[in-house]
Amino acid sequence: MIELKHVSTVYDDDFMALSGVNLKIGHGEFVSLVGPSGAGKSTLLRLLTRELSPRGGEVILDGVNLATLSSGEVPLLRRKIGTVYQDFKLLTNKNAFENVAFALEVCGVDEEEVNTDVPKVLNIVGLSDKAQNFPHQMSGGEKQRLAIARALIHRPRIILADEPTGNLDLMNTYDVVKLLMKINELGTTVILATHNREVVNVIGKRVVTMEKGKIIRDQVVNGKYII
Amino acid sequence: MKKSFKRIFSVGWTNFKRNRYISFGTTGVMVLVLVLFAGLMAVNFLSSQVVANLQDKVDISAYFKPDISEEDILGVRSELEALDNVKKVDYVSAAEALQEFKERHAGDATIQESLAELDFNPLQASLNIKANDPAQFASVVQFLEGNKFRSVIDKINFYENEKVIGRLQSISGGIQNWGFLMTMILAAIAVLVTFNTIRLTIYNQRQEIEIMKLVGGSNWHIKAPYLVEGGLYGAFAASVTAVIFYPALFFISPKIELLMPGVSLTSYFLSNIFQFLFLVFFIGVLLGVVSSLVAIRRFLRV
Repeated sequence: MIELKHVSTVYDDDFMALSGVNLKIGHGEFVSLVGPSGAGKSTLLRLLTRELSPRGGEVILDGVNLATLSSGEVPLLRRKIGTVYQDFKLLTNKNAFENVAFALEVCGVDEEEVNTDVPKVLNIVGLSDKAQNFPHQMSGGEKQRLAIARALIHRPRIILADEPTGNLDLMNTYDVVKLLMKINELGTTVILATHNREVVNVIGKRVVTMEKGKIIRDQVVNGKYII
Repeated sequence: MKKSFKRIFSVGWTNFKRNRYISFGTTGVMVLVLVLFAGLMAVNFLSSQVVANLQDKVDISAYFKPDISEEDILGVRSELEALDNVKKVDYVSAAEALQEFKERHAGDATIQESLAELDFNPLQASLNIKANDPAQFASVVQFLEGNKFRSVIDKINFYENEKVIGRLQSISGGIQNWGFLMTMILAAIAVLVTFNTIRLTIYNQRQEIEIMKLVGGSNWHIKAPYLVEGGLYGAFAASVTAVIFYPALFFISPKIELLMPGVSLTSYFLSNIFQFLFLVFFIGVLLGVVSSLVAIRRFLRV
């Protein structure tokens, strides 16, 4: 489903973020991508949403080489994926309902369906009573749950979570992890980039360890955070 | 399609309301720009009036030999009036010319006595000719000097007045050209000010635009509400401009009328009120939409 073949990425300042990365992720997997800051975890996720293009190699999703997508096809790719970020990336001018609804509207879903689905998803993440609140009126944990609701609403086949617990306290961290695991149980592929050892060890699924732009370890079953 | 337009307008309107400080500031700058445009329209109207007045003062006279009958002179007038470049032809008979001369020099005893001693009218009947454009006098004179009228016309005062006519022409041409140049420069500045203001407004929202792209929004889906927002700045600014401009005209117009009698800004802008409102509204909305369109482009490359 997701395949990276000899992928290398170089930033403008000649920093080599990824170097010859090979990785295969199957449908419905939960993969924890671990490693220190600068290891290349976020770069790998950004390749999957075509925020970045590789300098060398191929990034293949559902048999399609992402480098061949036209700029008009990129939004269609992103609609297949739900993304959760450390800094939430919520639309500050929109309330919680509108933030979630936006991800549905871009898919061309009609108003009626939006009005039915959004409250359901807000209920799943425990934000039913905050639907009219704006992001600045919410706590860090609530913002991250809202970001997850937005990532979930269009029933994507893949969820990419880039340090989603980085700005959260312990309680909220486990709430978010539990949500991601629940989403995975329903059949969605989840790729979680983190350097939170406890989180990775609690999840206990496949763990891919990165260092200096390379994959140095791939524990397919019952993985642990080992550096 | 209909639902999509409804969504675009609804989101655009919501953004306009929610960013009320930014909307207020941007609309304010656009009001200044549109007031400047309206002012330029007023200045253009005034300068066209000055040019028209100057051109109206320029004429030439063709004097007829004393033995030519009034009927023949009126015949020449009809032929002149049939020319495309002739605006107006007035016939002044010898008697009228004398009467006018006496009235003009009523206080000059020497002239009055000299005239009294004469037992005939020394003045000639003439046709006073005004052209649509002073540059066309030469062709009118050429027409009069043709074989057909050579025997009836004594002289034409064009050559004596040629220099003055030329100078008036260059003054009115200068007013028109400089007026046009200044209008273009000020209009360009106004467009740049609007563009930069809207660019700053959209720059403030660049992160939102980036997020929308990451969530899977197509360029059109993201861009359209911003274009509506830009159009709303223009529409509101146009309304405020009209509310400011017309009362200001009532205040300024009488003062200008003192300097230029017969020229009324108020009546000009009232008689063209619908055209003016449409133009200001059109310029405002167009500036807002196009500025938004240009400004948002670079933030959509995510």
